[in-house]
Amino acid sequence: MNKQSAPPGVAPGTPPVLQLRGIGKFFPGVIANKDVDLDVWPGEIHALLGENGAGKSTLMNVVTGIYQPEEGEIILDGYGQTFTSPQEAIRAGIGMVHQHFKLVQAFTVAENIHLGWDEAPRRASPAVMEARTHEISERFGFPVRADARVCDLSAGEQQRVEILRVLARRARLLIMDEPTAVLTPEETGELFRALRAFRAQGNAVIIISHKLDEVMEISDRVSILRGGCKVGTFNTADCNPSMLAATMVGRDIVRRNMRARPEGAAPIATTPVMQLRNVSVRDDRGVDTLRDVSLDLYGGEILGIAGVAGNGQRELTHVLTGLMARTSGEILLDGSLVARTDPALFVQAGVGHIPEDRLRSALAPSLSVTANMALREYPYPPIGTHGLYDAQAAGALAQGIADLAQVNIPDFAMPIRNLSGGNQQRLVARREIRIASRVLVAAYPARGLDIGAIATMLGYLTDLRDQGVAVVFISEDLEDLLNVSDRIGVMFHGRLMSIIDAEAADMATIGLLMGGRDAAGTQPGATQ
Amino acid sequence: MAARAFQRLPSAPAGRILVLRLAAIVLSLFIIAGVLALSGHSPVTLAELILRSTLGSRFGLEDLALFMCPLLLTGAAVTVCGTIGLWNIGAEGQFYAGAIAATGVALGMHGPAPAVLPVMTIAGILGGMAWITVPTLARAYAGVNEIITTLLLNFIASLLTYYLTTGPWRDRISGAQVSTQRLPVAIPEMWGIVHWGFPVAIVIVIGLALVLSRTRWGYEIRIGGANPEAARYAGIPVRLRIISVMLLSGGLAGLAGMFEVAGTVHRLQGGMANNFGYLGIVVAVLARGSCLNVIPAALLMALILDSGIVMQTQQLSASVVLAITGLILFMIAIGDELAHYRPVASTTPKGKAS
Repeated sequence: MNKQSAPPGVAPGTPPVLQLRGIGKFFPGVIANKDVDLDVWPGEIHALLGENGAGKSTLMNVVTGIYQPEEGEIILDGYGQTFTSPQEAIRAGIGMVHQHFKLVQAFTVAENIHLGWDEAPRRASPAVMEARTHEISERFGFPVRADARVCDLSAGEQQRVEILRVLARRARLLIMDEPTAVLTPEETGELFRALRAFRAQGNAVIIISHKLDEVMEISDRVSILRGGCKVGTFNTADCNPSMLAATMVGRDIVRRNMRARPEGAAPIATTPVMQLRNVSVRDDRGVDTLRDVSLDLYGGEILGIAGVAGNGQRELTHVLTGLMARTSGEILLDGSLVARTDPALFVQAGVGHIPEDRLRSALAPSLSVTANMALREYPYPPIGTHGLYDAQAAGALAQGIADLAQVNIPDFAMPIRNLSGGNQQRLVARREIRIASRVLVAAYPARGLDIGAIATMLGYLTDLRDQGVAVVFISEDLEDLLNVSDRIGVMFHGRLMSIIDAEAADMATIGLLMGGRDAAGTQPGATQ
Repeated sequence: MAARAFQRLPSAPAGRILVLRLAAIVLSLFIIAGVLALSGHSPVTLAELILRSTLGSRFGLEDLALFMCPLLLTGAAVTVCGTIGLWNIGAEGQFYAGAIAATGVALGMHGPAPAVLPVMTIAGILGGMAWITVPTLARAYAGVNEIITTLLLNFIASLLTYYLTTGPWRDRISGAQVSTQRLPVAIPEMWGIVHWGFPVAIVIVIGLALVLSRTRWGYEIRIGGANPEAARYAGIPVRLRIISVMLLSGGLAGLAGMFEVAGTVHRLQGGMANNFGYLGIVVAVLARGSCLNVIPAALLMALILDSGIVMQTQQLSASVVLAITGLILFMIAIGDELAHYRPVASTTPKGKAS
C-alpha cells in the first residue's frame, strides 16, 4: 500500500507535493506517531481520519514545523526538507488552518491578512491593504469584506480569512483541522466548493476530520490513523462510511461476556428509572446537536452508547445529568417530569456522572485531594451538618475513596493535579460510583487507561449493575461496549439510530449504524 | 533530552516560600543599605532609628497596630474575593464609602457612643457593600469584568469624599481644610492610641479563615474559584456565591473605612484612605490566598509604611520610600517564583511541606 503511483490526472514523473516516510514522534510515555508514511499528490483532497488521540494533529504539527519528528523524513516535491519553525513550512508552501482560529479579533480582515507577512508593503495604509486583500480574495475565490473587523465576522467568514492568509503566502498544500466543526451546513457547502476550486488549480488539501459523510463527499483519498500508526490509504470512491468507521475503531474484537450476572444480583427493573422523551438540543450556532432522542434507562442494566466521537454523545451526557438545557422534549426521573435544568437535582436523585474531560469539569486541580473527593457529598452528613464543612470527615471520605480506587496518596492535602491522569480518573470514577444509587452516566471512562485499569473500570460498571443501578456507558471502543452492555445504542448526527440487543449485535450492523445507515442499509433522514 | 539543572514544580511548598521570602527581604535590605551608604546616609544609624521607632518602642508598636488595622481588613477583602477567583480592586472606594456612611451617622445621630457606634459600624459595612453592588450584579448577571468596574468606582468615591469635606460637611468649627469636624464619638482606645478596632480586625480575619475552611459556604467558594465548571457540575449555585462573596468583600473594606474614621483619624478627610485599599491587594498577594497569612502580610506592609515615615523625617523623599517598597515586593515575588524550582538530581518527592 505504500508504493503508490501517481493517480490519474497527474503527469507521469511528477513527484507528490508531500511525502512522509517513517515519521515517528514521541512524547514522554506516549507514542504519538510511529512509522507513518503518507503521499499527497497535486490535485487531490486527502482526508486524514482517526479517533481522538489517534495522532492526526501531531502528524500535521510535524508537517507544519511546530514539532520536529524524532524519526523519518519529510519530502517536498521530491526533495528532503526539515522545518525548524512554522515560518519555514509556510515559506515552503505548506499552510495550516487550525480548528481554533489564530486571528487578531480587533484588527480588520486586511490587517490580519498582512500581519507578519514579509511581502506586505512597507508603508501600508488601510486603503492599500484593503485593495490588496480585495485582489487576493478575487484571485482565490474566497469573498471577504476587507474592511470589516474580525470580531464582527461569523465563524465561516473568519475561516475564509484564515484560508486567505495561508493562500496569499503561496501555499500549495493547505491543511485544515476539523474545518467544519464550527460551520453551519450552508457554510460547509461554500467551503467545499472553494476547496474544489483550489484543487482544480493543481494544489493539494489535507483535511482532518472524523465526520464520515463529509470525508466521503469532499475527499479523493482517505488515510486512516489508529493509535499513532497509519492503518491504510484508500480511494474514497472504494469506501463507504460504515467501512471507514469500522477501520477507524476496529482492531480485532475479543468478545468476553461480562453480561452474566452472579447469583444474588439485582434483576433488570421493570419500570424505567430515567426516561428521555423526544429530547432535542440546539447549540448557539443553530445546529441540532441532539435530535429527537428517546430512551429508557432501567436499573440493573448497562446501556452502551456507540458512535464516532462528536455525534451528540457529549450533549446526551449533559442532558442526562442536568448540565445542559434541552430545546425540546422531556426528561422523567422515576416517572415524574424534571422541570429545571439543575445538576444539583440530578445529584440528589442519585445520578452519578463520570464526565469525558475529568480534569476540566469534575475536579478543581489546585485544591487538595480531600476537597476534590468531597465534591459530591459535602452537603450531607457526616461532612456537611448545620452548614458546616467537617474537614476531618472529608478526609476520612477521601481516604475511603482512595482505598477503593487503589490509589496510593502520599499526602491528602496536596493539590490533586499532582496525581497522574490515570489516578485522577480512578478517584473520580470511585467518587461518582459512591453517589450513583440510581444511575451512573460514564463518558469514556476507560480512555487513557492501560489494559489492567480498563478491566478494573469495566468491573466497576458491572458491579454497579449487579447492585441494581442503571448504567449508561459511552465509549468509542466497540470491544468494551459489546462485552459489558446489555443493549447498545448508536449515535449519529445527534440521533440515536437504534438500540440493539448487545448479545445479538454484530460488527457489521454497528458499523452501518455508526455510518448513519440503519440495518437495512438505508439512510433515514441523516442529512438535512 | 537537554540536561536542565532545575525543574519547575506546579506548586511550591510553603516552607520553601517562607525561607526564600526571608532571604529576599534580607537581600533587599542589603541593597537598600548599600544605596543609602552611597548617597551619604549612614545605614546603621538609619536602621537603628527605624527599629527604635517601630518595633523597638511602645509608640512605634502602637503606630504599627494602627497601620495594620485597615490593612488587615482590606487585605481580607481582596483575599476573600480572590478565593472565588475574582479581583476586588475597589477596596479603596469601598473604604471611602464605608467611611462616608459612618461619618454621616456620626454627624446626624446624636446620642451616647454605645448607641451611635453600632449604628456607625453597620452603616460602614452597608456603605462598602453598596459601593460594590453594581460591579457585583454586573459580574454575576452580565459577566462584566469586575476589575474595571471596581477600580473606576474608587475615583468616584475619592472625589465624593473631597466634595463632602469641602462642601456640605466641611469643618465649620475649627476650619480644618478638606475635613469634617471632629466626630462626636470615637471607638474606645484599648492600649495607648490603639483602638478596639485592631483586635476586632484580627478576630475577623481569623473568623474568615475558619468560615472558608470549615463551612459549606466556604467550601463552595473554594470550588467555585478553583474551577467554576466543576462547581456547576456539583450543582453549586455559582452566581449566588459570587454575589455573596463580593458583597462580603465590599463590607469588609467599608468596615475598614469606618474603623479609620471612628478610631484613628476621628474625622472624614479627603485622601484619608491613604492607599489602604490598593495596599490591600499587595497584602492579599503576599498572603497567597490564605486568610491567616493576611496577618503577617499586613504586619510586613505596616512595617514598610511606618519605616517610610521615619525615613521621611530624615530628609529622604517620599519617592525613595516608594522605591524601597517596590524593591522589597519585587524581591519577594522573585523568591516566590524561585520556590517552584528544585534541582533535578533529587527527583524523589521528599519533604512535601504544606
